[in-house]
Amino acid sequence: MRRGGGASRLNRFITHLQGFLLPLLFLVVWEVWAVHLDNPALVPRVEAVLNVLLHPFSELIGTGTLAWNTGVSLFRVLFGFSIAVVLCVPMGLVMGTSRVFFRLVNPLVELFRPLCPIAWIPFAMAFFGVLSVPQLFGVRYSDTILDSVQVGMVFIIFWGGLFPILLNTIYGVTGVRTLWIETAQILGASRRRIFRRVIIPAALPAIMTGLRVGLGISWMVIIAAEMLPGSDSGIGYLIMYSYELAEMNILVACMVMIGLMGLLLNRGLLFITARVSGWQSLER
Amino acid sequence: MNRLLIDGVGKVFNGDNTREVTALKDVQLSAGSGEFICIIGPTGCGKTTLLRLIAGLESPTSGTIRLDDQPIDGLNKSCTLVFQQFSLFPWLSVLGNIAFALDSKGVPKKEQKREALDLLRLVGLADAAGSKPHELSGGMQQRVSIARALAYDPEILLMDEPFGALDERTRQKLQDVLLDLWRKKRKTILFVTHNIDEAIYLADRIIIMAIEPGRIVNNLSVDLPRPRRRLSAEFTELHVRIRDLLEIPE
Ligand SMILES: Nc1ncnc2c1ncn2[C@@H]1O[C@H](COP(=O)(O)OP(=O)(O)OP(=O)(O)O)[C@@H](O)[C@H]1O
Ligand SMILES: [Mg+2]
Repeated sequence: MRRGGGASRLNRFITHLQGFLLPLLFLVVWEVWAVHLDNPALVPRVEAVLNVLLHPFSELIGTGTLAWNTGVSLFRVLFGFSIAVVLCVPMGLVMGTSRVFFRLVNPLVELFRPLCPIAWIPFAMAFFGVLSVPQLFGVRYSDTILDSVQVGMVFIIFWGGLFPILLNTIYGVTGVRTLWIETAQILGASRRRIFRRVIIPAALPAIMTGLRVGLGISWMVIIAAEMLPGSDSGIGYLIMYSYELAEMNILVACMVMIGLMGLLLNRGLLFITARVSGWQSLER
Repeated sequence: MNRLLIDGVGKVFNGDNTREVTALKDVQLSAGSGEFICIIGPTGCGKTTLLRLIAGLESPTSGTIRLDDQPIDGLNKSCTLVFQQFSLFPWLSVLGNIAFALDSKGVPKKEQKREALDLLRLVGLADAAGSKPHELSGGMQQRVSIARALAYDPEILLMDEPFGALDERTRQKLQDVLLDLWRKKRKTILFVTHNIDEAIYLADRIIIMAIEPGRIVNNLSVDLPRPRRRLSAEFTELHVRIRDLLEIPE
């Protein structure tokens, strides 16, 4: 079986190379364009952008480091998203199993669903102002990253995650095969055990899809929220601020960072999905 | 004593957008304690429906089903069903699937593994304990489902073409395993099959069904001494008789 090992390694190398080809071409075109235009306030050189990205811990235009601002955004998202998961998954499980509860809550869901979460931002700002999470609990400064987590931002991140998580959970629960439920029944499982050991694992792939979509939306929404006036940290804020100072290399570096972090979040959840519900992709 | 009494049972399905189907009409059947009954009949004659009614997964449109003189209301706790379709839980390993049934019986976690392995050995799959269902062939999955039903250890065992996907040799081996268990534990077994020889080899009684409407047309006692010899003259004679009753052309 080792025969042709060298050739296959070469093949693998070429396969990997294919993936890098277009991004590389993109960078070359960008660089040529930047040199040709010679206006760093409009199109920064690739090196200038890389320079920002490669020194994430150096102070930028008086707003903290790239790493800090990225960290703040990530922390806000994970904070709000966790709340959305903790509230919406159980709610979806109940809505998926109880017809009464579904009929009770569904009209409200249908009413709010078409409302883009970004439309909530002004409302949240008016309502919560710059109140931070520790302040909500009566602590003026906690001297932790929590001071940078505003209640209003948590609120809109929650709205970003709400519907994808809720609807996918309901879809997952109602889509559990009758055969599996009947199998559990004829093997003497109680309703409680059917819920815990059949319905939840069977619905898990759909729930995980909901989490992935929800996290993606939350990540977009937080960037938008941070761009608005009144914000004082976060990667969205850093983008807006570098725009105002015409520091295009920082601006583009932030965009790259947003893309990278979005990718990372998605990959992270995909990794967890493979762990907890890998059976689905393997089923024949 | 008649443990199970099926009295004038009919089942009509009215699908929302399909025609009305009389899956079963006026079915009369009783099963004594420890009796082995095989059910044979053309496809669509209501064999699966009959087992589902007994299991309590479906309720009859007419007639009653009684267990020890008690009408069945909801799920019938003293029986289990081996489904015709693949019904293993794909998120659990083979061992986990069997442990699911052992849990219902209250077998302590520590002993579950040993018991599950014993059962897997019985169906010839001890090596597959750690596998996930999708890694097994169809016949292997079927054998795990059988082991799982045996793990639940019900008084009445309903089996819907359990050996359908097996080759002749494995099939015969499992028939002997089943007979052995049945003899030791005196279970009541209702066993659906399309294989005439299998029915003759296993059953105390063979129920022959016909289609449109689904009904029982014959009820044959098999009086051959056990263990039965598959190539004996009496065996073959019975085989021919059942072929006639099923109207299978030569
Ligand atoms: N849930 C249902 N809704 C409507 N019709 C049904 C339903 N279940 C069974 N039927 C119909 O009842 C009849 C008997 O079905 P059943 O599954 O009991 O047949 P069977 O004897 O098990 O057949 P096979 O040997 O192919 O498994 C069929 O005509 C089938 O279409
Ligand atoms: Mg059937």
